[in-house]
Amino acid sequence: MGNSVSKVLGKLFGTREMKILMLGLDNAGKTTILYKLKLNKIKTSAPTVGFNVETLSFKNVKFNMWDVGGQARLRPLWRHYFPATSALIFVIDSSDTERLDQAKEELFSIIGEKEMENVVLLVLANKQDLPGALGPNEVSDFLQLGESLKNQLWCVIGSNALTGQGLIEGLSWISKNTSSSH
Amino acid sequence: MFSPSAPDLSQNSGELNASEPSFASDEGTLRKNVVRNNGQSHHASPSKRPKSTILRENSGGLSFINLYYDSADKDDDDEAQLQHESEMNSYKVDQSNSDVEQLLQEGGPMRLSARDGSNSNLDDSGSSDALNTAGLLPTPESESRSSQFLGSASLIEDAASNSVKNSHLDRYGFMKQNQYISEKQFNEWWTNYSKYCIRRKRKWKDLLLKSGLPVDNDSPTRFPSKSEKLKRYVRKGIPAEWRGNAWWYFARGDELLSKNIGVYDKLLTKINNPSFASKDTEIIERDLHRTFPDNVHFQKSKDSDEDPLTIKSLRRILKAFAIYNSKIGYCQSMNFLVGLLLLFMDEERAFWMLVIITSRYLPGVHSINLEGVNINQGVLLLCIKEYLPDFWQRIYSNKTHRDSGKINNKNEFLYKLPPVTLCTASWFMSCFIGVVPVETTLRIWDCLFYEGSHILFKMSLAILELSGNNLPKAHHMSNKNADDEDMELFQAIQTFPKQLINPNDIIDKAIFKRRLKFNALNQDEIERCKKYVISQRAKYKNFQEVMKNDTANSSKRDSVLAQDLINETFSNEGYGFKKGLNGVNWNNNIKERVRRLSRKR
Repeated sequence: MGNSVSKVLGKLFGTREMKILMLGLDNAGKTTILYKLKLNKIKTSAPTVGFNVETLSFKNVKFNMWDVGGQARLRPLWRHYFPATSALIFVIDSSDTERLDQAKEELFSIIGEKEMENVVLLVLANKQDLPGALGPNEVSDFLQLGESLKNQLWCVIGSNALTGQGLIEGLSWISKNTSSSH
Repeated sequence: MFSPSAPDLSQNSGELNASEPSFASDEGTLRKNVVRNNGQSHHASPSKRPKSTILRENSGGLSFINLYYDSADKDDDDEAQLQHESEMNSYKVDQSNSDVEQLLQEGGPMRLSARDGSNSNLDDSGSSDALNTAGLLPTPESESRSSQFLGSASLIEDAASNSVKNSHLDRYGFMKQNQYISEKQFNEWWTNYSKYCIRRKRKWKDLLLKSGLPVDNDSPTRFPSKSEKLKRYVRKGIPAEWRGNAWWYFARGDELLSKNIGVYDKLLTKINNPSFASKDTEIIERDLHRTFPDNVHFQKSKDSDEDPLTIKSLRRILKAFAIYNSKIGYCQSMNFLVGLLLLFMDEERAFWMLVIITSRYLPGVHSINLEGVNINQGVLLLCIKEYLPDFWQRIYSNKTHRDSGKINNKNEFLYKLPPVTLCTASWFMSCFIGVVPVETTLRIWDCLFYEGSHILFKMSLAILELSGNNLPKAHHMSNKNADDEDMELFQAIQTFPKQLINPNDIIDKAIFKRRLKFNALNQDEIERCKKYVISQRAKYKNFQEVMKNDTANSSKRDSVLAQDLINETFSNEGYGFKKGLNGVNWNNNIKERVRRLSRKR
């Protein structure tokens, strides 16, 4: 029943598709998140040198999710390839408090680019399971997105890629907040 | 609010647009712990897996050999005969295993590696305890270099060993199973391939003996001088136990080391200094434990919190290299290069091999500005355009480039690299580690160190061509949009190579096939191509800078004109591949006919 209804709806309104770019410093957990969502499995993750791309279907939305290598040096490789991104997921290792500044700087440099003008921004405060991890509130306070971002929609959600906590919630938020503009 | 935890997500589709947008209010940030993601993976469709060559694996072991032995020169024909004979013999020998047992013993206990508990009851892997004490003991001074593999490749399981068959791990200590290959698939392949390895090793032994070179302790250190025959042997795979020595020999490691005696130890002294600090240290540390986490040699033992020896070596090499070559420092992917080297050679050699790879085989690829990567991508694009025109259409001449009203700049792709290079760049940086299964990676490395970096381009072309074949053809007929096509392409390029479990399949297609179009693509051609790309990129950069200064105070129309000028200039400077290809074919044909005739007589 549910399936056929959604199929009809899909035919009426068309399934939406969106391109999502997942960024963050190295070792933030981007690839783990991608494969948790795709396979519901924890893939022993190694540093991503190139990128991973997977299609996820969620409700009537098809997400094309791009996960690209985090090391600063690799950034020029992918920087200019994402003009049509609808949403940006920025993943932060909430337990790595020493690099929060660096993460913030990185986030603002990305979001300040022209191509990113109209994206919605989801910040995943990842690794909530680790001791000493900052909660999503604290991460949000630290980033002070409200003061800097005037036009973009944004949201900070706590996540744990190992259990999947926060991930679906994040995608829901994205699909809700992009429906009108795309 | 939505209820994402409902297992059947499609039922909730109506709610999606109905609920109010939640901004990053406190409410938004606090919402957590409510979501489970069961349902999601169920709902997500499994990635498309192109029908791959793996399925042909069962018959592959025998048939491919015949495929290319009927070509080429007289030596080959002789060899083909021999091959058939030894083919028959080898099966008999496999049964009795006399040869093989001897091989095993020659290696001694150090050759056996620490395995997971599952096979500790097997006779020939029962020494895992012994290894823990022999090989994995922490050295007294933890930062001094480890010489655990000196003399033999201790981390590799013999092809004839039964323990691989009964383990979840392959002969190098990697998990057999991964996202793309099941353990069953692996075992089916390995049943044949291990026999192939034994057969090839015997041939290598014969070759060395004939050349008067010793096979000391199953660890020869000298190899015959370069020849067509040796090249063929290398392309068919260097015996795994000899790889460390062979790579070292073919890459002329001794030559470099003899000029740098003691240098590595000095570097270690430097990094051991408590006051030593490097901006790369932190990044290296973060990647150490993410290097081959599914390989047993990179895992901590259950009862110790200490890093395994391999990780310690990896750390020292990467840190030492970062100060040895500060233009490169540390670049992700180098951890994989060193990690793989460490399975085959001792620490000091692995260090110098990294030096060789980053300077001779992949110059500039890991440097801070990654210009080497971009140059390689430019070369690869030129090759794609020349050799894979259909694929080229797919990745370049569509969409944005077509309808940008400017004069078409023929070489624009050399500085504005198309998105496909996102993928291929990593192939070069990590030399195919993680791109194709490990056995295939190793075969590529065999050829790389023997033949040079053009092998990487040939391999890339072969992989791209095969990946492209797995894509639905209907390009403009379908109503799919450009994004969909891109996704299909990227997923194929990402997924397909990971299933190339049998090295012979891809080697055959990339370099062995007779009259193969890539055959003309030799090292000279690649070097020439590289020079061209370098000069074009430099020119373009210069032009851009001049224009920037120039147009700052001139009108927009002028800048358009200037752009046109650039385009025109560059378009006139195309790259021409050598067109000797047809001639070569013709010659081969004639040669072959003559040979057949003379045989009939």
